[in-house]
Amino acid sequence: MSDITPIRIIMTGVGGQGTLTATTLLAKSVLAEGLPVTSGEIHGMAQRGGVVESTVLIGCQSPKIGHGEADILMGFEPLETMRALPYLRKGGLVLSSTEFLPPLSVSMGKQENVKLEEVQARVAQCTDKAHFLPCQEMGLEAGAIQAGNIALIGALVATGAVPVGKDTIAATIEANMPAKIVAVNLKALDLGFAAMVGA
Amino acid sequence: MANPLLSADGGATHLLLGNEAIVRGAVEAGIQVVTCYPGTPSSEVPDTFYRLSPEGGYFFEYTANEKVALEVGGGATLSGAMTLTTMKHVGVNVAADPLMTLAYTGTPGGFMLLSADDPGCHSSQNEQDNRYYARLAGYPVLEPCTAQEAKDMTRDGLRLSKELEQPFMLRTTTRVNHLRGPVDFGPAQAPAKSQGFTRNPPRFVPIPAFARTMHERLLGKLEELKEASEKSPYNKVHGDGEIGIAATGISRAYLADALRESGLENTFRIMELGFTHPLPETMARNFMKGLKKVIVIEELEPILENDLRVLAQKEKIDIEILGKDLLPKNGEFSVTMVADVLRSLTGQNAPQCDSCAPAELPQRPPNLCAGCPHRATYFAARKVFGDDALYSSDIGCYTLGLLPPLSMADFILCMGSSISAGCGASVAQDKPVVAFIGDSTFFHSGLTGLASAVFNNHDILLVILDNHTTAMTGHQPHPGVEKTVLGDNEHRLDIAKVCEGLGVPEIRQVNPLNQKKTMAALEELKEMSGVRVLIAREPCPLHARRVYKKVAPMVAYVADSCTGRAECLDKLACPAFYKDGDKAAINPILCNGCMLCLQVCAHIKSKKRGS
Repeated sequence: MSDITPIRIIMTGVGGQGTLTATTLLAKSVLAEGLPVTSGEIHGMAQRGGVVESTVLIGCQSPKIGHGEADILMGFEPLETMRALPYLRKGGLVLSSTEFLPPLSVSMGKQENVKLEEVQARVAQCTDKAHFLPCQEMGLEAGAIQAGNIALIGALVATGAVPVGKDTIAATIEANMPAKIVAVNLKALDLGFAAMVGA
Repeated sequence: MANPLLSADGGATHLLLGNEAIVRGAVEAGIQVVTCYPGTPSSEVPDTFYRLSPEGGYFFEYTANEKVALEVGGGATLSGAMTLTTMKHVGVNVAADPLMTLAYTGTPGGFMLLSADDPGCHSSQNEQDNRYYARLAGYPVLEPCTAQEAKDMTRDGLRLSKELEQPFMLRTTTRVNHLRGPVDFGPAQAPAKSQGFTRNPPRFVPIPAFARTMHERLLGKLEELKEASEKSPYNKVHGDGEIGIAATGISRAYLADALRESGLENTFRIMELGFTHPLPETMARNFMKGLKKVIVIEELEPILENDLRVLAQKEKIDIEILGKDLLPKNGEFSVTMVADVLRSLTGQNAPQCDSCAPAELPQRPPNLCAGCPHRATYFAARKVFGDDALYSSDIGCYTLGLLPPLSMADFILCMGSSISAGCGASVAQDKPVVAFIGDSTFFHSGLTGLASAVFNNHDILLVILDNHTTAMTGHQPHPGVEKTVLGDNEHRLDIAKVCEGLGVPEIRQVNPLNQKKTMAALEELKEMSGVRVLIAREPCPLHARRVYKKVAPMVAYVADSCTGRAECLDKLACPAFYKDGDKAAINPILCNGCMLCLQVCAHIKSKKRGS
């Protein structure tokens, strides 16, 4: 293993959101930068609308992230961002979507969903480094709602918290995604990046 | 462009899923035959072989269950073909019978069994540790911890298996199957022509007289295999100190990160084992000598721990051996958990866990998809039987019917048990029994249970939920499917005819999306006794979209006349529904157009998709 300072990233979202696509894209980009990378995913029954958790670890051997171990938390859905907070080490970086996909109990009116302000307040108790972005909206602006995940990757790269350049992500998108969705995802990457640079 | 996994050349580095790395390892070894029954976390291994099969030089098949997979694989290796058979840990229970004997006959072509264990029960009904099976049956075991090792161990294990003519077990855990890491490719061996079968009854026909000799032969082979594990590059001792750490499988990854995390890199003498059975005794003895204590880091059962205890006693090594005293026997480990153990060994306190507190939040359990035909079947069955019946369920997507409001699973044991356990329940209590089984599970292990139920004239209503695919594990084909991603199934078994052939006296077939007819069939069958079968046929909407290229043209919407009684929400729990103020509403993007809800409430209407 190299002497690189380890970086642990946990990603979380809802089944069907493309969380795993974003995870693999980031992991491939880290590898393209010549850095040691391991990534992991737990889905199983999660394809049926459950929670998906995945990881990207730079300079580590383990593919798993335990509580208090993550340097970066990327939430593709705000309720899941809040649920995954125990994984974050205090003072770590949070990047989260602001747009809710309510779980069934909430849709059915049996339970109240948390409000975005509550999520933000809770995150603020753990870290002062947090950014909330309307990912779906950015995905739609780029041309497809699913591309919102790539916008969040763009935002991550813009923070400088990972040793991966935006050009490397763009090259990985071009090399690995079907040709017809490359342009949309490149635009989403730009939108996410620009949102942070402007922030 | 040919898939890189099949490329003949070495030298490239790819980021691979552990399961894809296993495929590449088999290709590098020159694999000739692959058989499987899918099961998470093993499924991507056969799925990748299947997807690549039109351009690969191997024979591949999905079999009806794991026993058949291992028997087909067994026959292939006995006939000289290098063979890989894959399954999840509980699948090995199904395959246990041929598993034992294959170690007796040996495997002339080379043979590897992938047992994908699931510590933490991410998608399984138990946490069994299949390293016990390997010891019971006499299989050498390889336990990878990275994608690179998953590839290399598959290749090297298959080659060594061919050389020694003994079957190997590749024992993975979910984290290894589903991790992604860089894999350096070696050159791939083109699959050779199978060397063919050499007739030799004393070796291949285990009648008692021959079996006794075969057992002796196996014991001799296990001695030879000790040498192989002593020499294996996957086993090594490094570092120095008074305390020793021994680790296997994925625990080696947690250990590596924990050592760095705790700053204790140069504190311990470490034995890492990847070729874990038979135990490299000389290596282990030399490792333990001079140490005060050894801590064994292995998930689930204390298998290496007990091996070392036995060795220490035999060799009269005075040493304290710890493992399950410090680490749990259930669930997965983590870097922090291992680091805390390392710190406690050196008298340090674990640092205060610096994590953020969990919050009470609405749960997001997995749910039957919008438009899932199982919801319609369950909805009708609940209307007809309510709480007055006992619901015997089985393994598959439809297990999710256990959640309220459908609440249609009272007990489950294993694949196929809905029928047989349902029969047992019917004789031991007074409520009627309604059993549910999916189509893939029916072919996997429902047939025998149903034959037995008919023979014993049990009082049971069996509902076969036929969604035309193995939906739970990723839409693999089975003997009853009409179509696969690679084309039509020309040898389709018709479930109704199969039931008829098995002697079931009363069989009805419905489309569950037609509630009226489904309810009528259930009412009719309810009044009868003996073995009765209702086949509820309608493809899984995800499968229909992908394979039949079929998307329902209409979607449902809630009309303004909605009275807000919310019966549709409360009773159907369809994920496309949501509460909008006082009224129900339907998300048209999520709606799959099954139109079940139109039959539940008069205020729900249909409209053209996109209008």
